[in-house]
Amino acid sequence: MRKTIQLLFLFFFTYLFLRTHYPLTSWIPVDLFLRADPLIALTALLSSKEITTHFIPAMILMVLTLLFGRFFCGYLCPLGTLIEVSRRLLPAPEVRHPEKLRVVKFYLLMVIVIASTTGAQLAFLFDPTVILTRTYTILLSPLIILVANFSLEGIRPLADHLGLITLAYLHYFQPLFYTTLSTGAIFISIIALNLITPRFWCRYLCPLGALVSLCSRVGIFKRMVDKSCTYCMKCTHQCPMGAIEEDPTKVKVRECIQCRTCTLVCPQKVVSFKPHYAPFHEDLHTELGITRRGFLCSLSGGLISSFLLYNSPLKRGRGDTLIRPPGALPEEAFLNTCIRCSACMKVCITNTLQPSLFEGGLEGLWTPRADLRRAACEQSCNLCGKVCPTHAIRDLDPEEKKHAKIGTAVLLKEKCLVWEQDKVCLICDEQCPYNAIVFKTVEGLRRPFVIENKCNGCGFCEQKCPVEGDAAIVVKPLGEIRLKEGSYRKEAELKSLKLTEDSGYDRFLFENESGKEVNE
Amino acid sequence: MQKKENSNHQLTRRDFLKTSAKAGVLFSLGYPLLSESGKAATSVAVSATDLAVVKGNPEKAVLKAIDLVGGMKQFVKEGQRVVIKPNMSFAKTPEEAANTNPVVVATVAQACRDAGATQVLVLDHTLQQGDLCIEKSGIGEFCQSIKGTYVLALNDEGFYQTVNVPRGKVIRELKIMKEILKSEVLINLPTAKSHSATGVSVGMKGLMGVIWDRGYFHSQVDLHQAIADLTSLVRPNLTIIDASRVLASGGPSGPGIVEKLNTIIAGVDPVAVDAYGVTITKWFFRKFEPAQIKHLLAAHQMGLGNINLNQLKIQEETV
Repeated sequence: MRKTIQLLFLFFFTYLFLRTHYPLTSWIPVDLFLRADPLIALTALLSSKEITTHFIPAMILMVLTLLFGRFFCGYLCPLGTLIEVSRRLLPAPEVRHPEKLRVVKFYLLMVIVIASTTGAQLAFLFDPTVILTRTYTILLSPLIILVANFSLEGIRPLADHLGLITLAYLHYFQPLFYTTLSTGAIFISIIALNLITPRFWCRYLCPLGALVSLCSRVGIFKRMVDKSCTYCMKCTHQCPMGAIEEDPTKVKVRECIQCRTCTLVCPQKVVSFKPHYAPFHEDLHTELGITRRGFLCSLSGGLISSFLLYNSPLKRGRGDTLIRPPGALPEEAFLNTCIRCSACMKVCITNTLQPSLFEGGLEGLWTPRADLRRAACEQSCNLCGKVCPTHAIRDLDPEEKKHAKIGTAVLLKEKCLVWEQDKVCLICDEQCPYNAIVFKTVEGLRRPFVIENKCNGCGFCEQKCPVEGDAAIVVKPLGEIRLKEGSYRKEAELKSLKLTEDSGYDRFLFENESGKEVNE
Repeated sequence: MQKKENSNHQLTRRDFLKTSAKAGVLFSLGYPLLSESGKAATSVAVSATDLAVVKGNPEKAVLKAIDLVGGMKQFVKEGQRVVIKPNMSFAKTPEEAANTNPVVVATVAQACRDAGATQVLVLDHTLQQGDLCIEKSGIGEFCQSIKGTYVLALNDEGFYQTVNVPRGKVIRELKIMKEILKSEVLINLPTAKSHSATGVSVGMKGLMGVIWDRGYFHSQVDLHQAIADLTSLVRPNLTIIDASRVLASGGPSGPGIVEKLNTIIAGVDPVAVDAYGVTITKWFFRKFEPAQIKHLLAAHQMGLGNINLNQLKIQEETV
């Protein structure tokens, strides 16, 4: 029963992940799991200091946790399910229970929550939903598409022969992401820790587990053992969380994930989970194990983490290479709000959104940035803002999105084929959806210029520039519009931007047969 | 034969695969559409009319134009596989006129089917995301209901193959769609639009959509000669220009001035059709002579077709 629910939720999570693509047609919000994550909700709330209706699923989950205890870990958490499933597949050496480590997750939770009040976003490193979404996006989905395309390659001739043209030409767009290795390493470590102790991650490290566990005390379903217990210790040994003590009638209620393995394995059938409201029952072990020293350390750790992040040796000024997705909040707010779940990167139709490494400093790790040399930002797509669970990227309608300028193209004349080599190249102009590139006659040849107030930084010019290596026309963050609230269109109007479809600048003429020279 | 040779020494699996692949390319494909294979090398006037120019409702005009150049049965035989190459490179709506009018594409596809084509493949190597181009251009939607017709954006290098360009002056070899090598009939179905590099983009320029690396044309060689070289290699059996809407400025991608000319031009000689296409309106606010468009001139000089409109039999009609 429990396994069925677990698998169903894992499939549901995977399904919603797979639906995170263009066109976004799912009526269930594809970021539902992220929005139902209380840790994300809490840190987003604390760092942005705003309450939104966006996190109602997380609030519902918290209410349910208050009612039913730490059931999230045992039933809903997709990472928890994967950890359990992998435990079955992996060899299981001697189990060790470093009980002292249990408190680590509470310390981690404290650091994360305290840090979020100071504006540093750390949940992304440890939140299981984020970790799994990111692993799916950056590692698994590209890998699966790679295998799928490779297999399709093999059946093309046969499909073509059979007249199955659609199959013969079926080819999935291959997304690729940077930081595959680090993302994969984290995921594999979490799975591998299972070898030391079952659900090592859930027992000792997961801050989301810690958060729901804090509320579990008041839950109405609690493990109760009848007096006729024979102390056979089966439940103690089989509990996946190691939550049952040496005295099997007692349970560490904070560790109990309501999986009810104990009721199944008990030969006497004396273990029950009857509704019983007794938050202060003597058999309940509710101690957190937090020491004064640990408390002070994690408190100060949380408080200074933002200081450390923003002043680390890896900190750099925001370089020229950091182009944020359209509608991204102002940089500081963006860094505080973005949970690095990479849903935006998954949904991005052109694959331009890539995880940052250190382009935005250490604190910008895994935040989305547009790699416009790799691909441009499709102007009719506004999905990154639609799937962002924390609204670090604003949900904009297509017209607003068009005005959410992400940068300005800068022409590097010394690399440009026309300026430097007198070639008849015009790809940037051909590509530009806004006619922001015009040609003017200079030294007898028509040469490209960027009209800054017509450029919204979409990057088609940079992507398609035929120069080898870095493009001769590069989008820089120059002039980007980042608004916490209000209309981008109005802001663009204030800045005299003309991101509309007119061809007013295109009035150049071809002179004589060469077709090369022009006269304005 | 190839296999026998190899069996003398050890035949490894890799050798076998390599050899069969080569043999496959040489014998089974046979490059039906490439000019040098002889079949379509010379432009033979299939009807008394060199160029058909029809004005009116695009759907009717296309059908009339096909009739005037000899009927679709002249070009498509029972059981053949046809490639239609429209302009489908941009994620733009039909009204923006950067792509071929979907009504025209669907009408031609249906005409091919009616003439007996088993499969009609509407192909382009799109500049923007493929699915979006198919969706926004309306071509996917309009062709959906036509049986045996497939609208595909071939944006993976695996669908392309390198071939020699024997008559090329600046292009020696070129990576082109394998499907072009395989299909028996190629119908070029460009829209006429202004183009900031070539002045006007019609059929010959539009055929750059069948090659893998367009950037090379722009950056490494003389673009105009490269287009002519491409025409010397890939020669459509029929070219139909969709000038129902034309992007008279701001091309090739727009935004720009869109004129509703409601004109369809059809012909076998790809250079002649383009030459007429140049004259139908003002591009970038001025009139062009065909010889002023450098790639047309280059193709004419290579003997690939005729840009002298006064030497052609042009039949004009209105429907």
